[in-house]
Amino acid sequence: MDLNERFERALEKVQKAPRYTGGEMNTDVKDWDACPLHFGFCFPDTYEIGMSHLGLKILYGLINRESWSLCERFFMPWTDMITLMKEEDLPLLSMESRHPLNAFDVVGFTLQYEMSYSNILAMLEMGGVPIEGKDRGEKDPIVVAGGPCAFNPEPLADFIDAFMIGDGEDVMTELNRVILERKEKGLSREECLKNLAKLEGVYVPSLYRVTYHDDGTVASVEPTCQEAPESVRKRVVTDLNSTYYPEEFPVPYTEVVFDRIMLEIMRGCTRGCRFCQAGILYRPVRERSLEKLVELADKLQASTGYEEISLSSLSSGDYSCLPELIRELMKRMKEKRVSISLPSLRIDSVLKESLEETQQVRKTSLTFAPEAGTQRMRDVINKGVTEEDLLEKVRDAFEGGWSSVKLYFMSGLPTETTEDLDGIADLARKVVAEYFNVPKAQRARGLRVTVSTSVFVPKPFTPFQWAAQDTIETVLAKQEHLKQVLNIKGVTFHWHEPYVSFLEACFARGDRRMGAVLKKAYEKGCILDGWNETFRFDTWMEAFRECGLDPAFYANRERPKDEVLPWDHIDSGITKQFLWHEKEKSDRTETTKDCRKGCNGCGLQRWKGVCACANTGSV
Amino acid sequence: MRILAVFEKGERIRHIGHLDIQRSVQRGLRRSGLPVAYSNGFNPHILVTFASALSTGACGKREIMDVTMAEDVSGEEFLRKMNRAMPPEMQLSEAMAVDRKHPSLPPLLRAAQYDLLIREERFAGKLIDAIPVMMARETIPAMRKTKTALKECDIKPLIYSLNGKDQHIYGMLVLTERESCKPGMLMEALCREAGIEEEVRVLITRTGLFGEDENGRLVPLETL
Repeated sequence: MDLNERFERALEKVQKAPRYTGGEMNTDVKDWDACPLHFGFCFPDTYEIGMSHLGLKILYGLINRESWSLCERFFMPWTDMITLMKEEDLPLLSMESRHPLNAFDVVGFTLQYEMSYSNILAMLEMGGVPIEGKDRGEKDPIVVAGGPCAFNPEPLADFIDAFMIGDGEDVMTELNRVILERKEKGLSREECLKNLAKLEGVYVPSLYRVTYHDDGTVASVEPTCQEAPESVRKRVVTDLNSTYYPEEFPVPYTEVVFDRIMLEIMRGCTRGCRFCQAGILYRPVRERSLEKLVELADKLQASTGYEEISLSSLSSGDYSCLPELIRELMKRMKEKRVSISLPSLRIDSVLKESLEETQQVRKTSLTFAPEAGTQRMRDVINKGVTEEDLLEKVRDAFEGGWSSVKLYFMSGLPTETTEDLDGIADLARKVVAEYFNVPKAQRARGLRVTVSTSVFVPKPFTPFQWAAQDTIETVLAKQEHLKQVLNIKGVTFHWHEPYVSFLEACFARGDRRMGAVLKKAYEKGCILDGWNETFRFDTWMEAFRECGLDPAFYANRERPKDEVLPWDHIDSGITKQFLWHEKEKSDRTETTKDCRKGCNGCGLQRWKGVCACANTGSV
Repeated sequence: MRILAVFEKGERIRHIGHLDIQRSVQRGLRRSGLPVAYSNGFNPHILVTFASALSTGACGKREIMDVTMAEDVSGEEFLRKMNRAMPPEMQLSEAMAVDRKHPSLPPLLRAAQYDLLIREERFAGKLIDAIPVMMARETIPAMRKTKTALKECDIKPLIYSLNGKDQHIYGMLVLTERESCKPGMLMEALCREAGIEEEVRVLITRTGLFGEDENGRLVPLETL
């Protein structure tokens, strides 16, 4: 029976078959034989998650726009499909033309979340691509990866041939050209990898040797050939207006997590929250112009038919002409019944006026992220938000007819005490009180305050990259405490399981030796670790034991200042010295100002023409 | 005014459920730029209904949507703009303008025509041979799934016609708002008649929706 027939048979038995069938609007299949370069874009999680991801839409459009390259999508199948694929002897197939993964010249993974790493191994194996780079031959694809987690590439060094560090728009095409050259000139895999290493922002791990001290810490990471630079500098797209942005998105038939137009209004954030990795990785802040955004919104609305536009960025409230933008979008979209939503609302910057404009079309719940419960704790993490700010915005929201508020906090931040935990409950209580202060006739009914606490995971390239994560026992005790103090009428409390966060911490700051743990755990059956129903913590711990590694070494150990960190050879533009300086200020509960108000000297000012803030402020 | 339009649900997307098809049509209408009418209320939606929901797993050759327009539009223009706005698997073949007062379609529905492709050739002959034998019986018992249980019923009066050729079985089956003979029920009965106990894989395609003209003849629903 041919492959298509076997695939159809699997589809008849699987749950949620539309995850695997494709044919969505704006996913036209390009002619396979007419395109010399075939790029398999792999999202290492389910269809519903992957199709919500903006980066996929950007790169999908960008690669397919070139006449010489085509891009097709792959997602991680759910467990029932994996079983059926084994029964029917089916490889992992692309959504568009149903070619197996190993038929592509480039296999590209996006790294959004450490807990998707085992899925990468699974997708490679199901797609007929040798899992480890060292086992790949001349006929096998080049396996590449990018995204925020690529900034610490070491745990994946055994599996990924080349990493793209930083903004992908420019380097993606450069990388594809080098791989096309390999195909056209018949260059060897090794030559191709060396050529890739010459590209700015590309890290080829096999061209580096890592040595360790007896205590397990890294001694050195050194290039083993001329082509590989000592330090790999991240790519930065300096002007978003002239950078590619898709004018059409694939539109899934079924509902996915973010089923709407995502309009990236800016990249980067100037706030300098000390826990936030994205805030460092995506520096400097770059805005798209109002004119460009309005033009994109019109085109995307016409090409997708979506009923909602969300403004996307790390800190949308900081967009310099946000009220004007919202007013203009509201005006244009009203007749088309398109609503505008502001997802990552920063509580100290959104004007009451724009709140009122958002509700014109649809009233959703408002999300605030004070992150910590006391002012001291917020100063430690440099979250420049005060209680008064928060309560004022909440009051505005309740007066404006909202009744549902979500509050996000982190637990386990450096120096956190019981007092800080109690502060979370105090804040929740005050939010409830604000609601009841609004006259009954004026407020919407049905108060709902949701408090969510996540477990703090120290990340590379942040001032907390040296910090210890709370042990699982400590996290559990803190959550128990929070459950008791948050037993407040009108308040619902959600918390994250500490086990996943513990493993996330191991990979986030892991070194190359973590690759063995990942492979072992995968061989023992660990996949889809980001999902409660498939996460197998005990199996992961077994894998650590069998590889002779201690997870606490990665998660719960405080690093000294002079330790070589596994990602030190990656240059995010922000100096290690600046991050240490920030860590020391944090220890002294000192805050650092928003760098729009003057350059704080993070390091990016060294790169000419990259950061606008560095030129305006005082150093 | 309203537009009645005939569209396809292609084989590739046959596992998409009716709610998702509805939403996809709504989004297609929004992409088309056609002057569609919206409902009033807090979450306005496009006024579009469907003659009949097609089950998950089945393809449709001539499904019918019924769209209320805010301004007059010709069938031609509707067809042209929608075909640019819909994915390849959901293209339209016909569209006609009707008066706002044109009766609603679901109550007029009487029957649906199906093309059932027997996936495995080895079962086809036996099943086709069993058709006249089954149709000659007084009653044809089948199991009907209700929300809570399986109920036995007689599908003989629900079959207008049934015949087979090569690997296909063609049937005109009753489909009204009150009762219907689902292709699955029919296939179960036919397998029993043919003495086949294994699972027979069938690709179901609904090829047309029918109403009754004044003479009681079945005619395509959109022509009424």
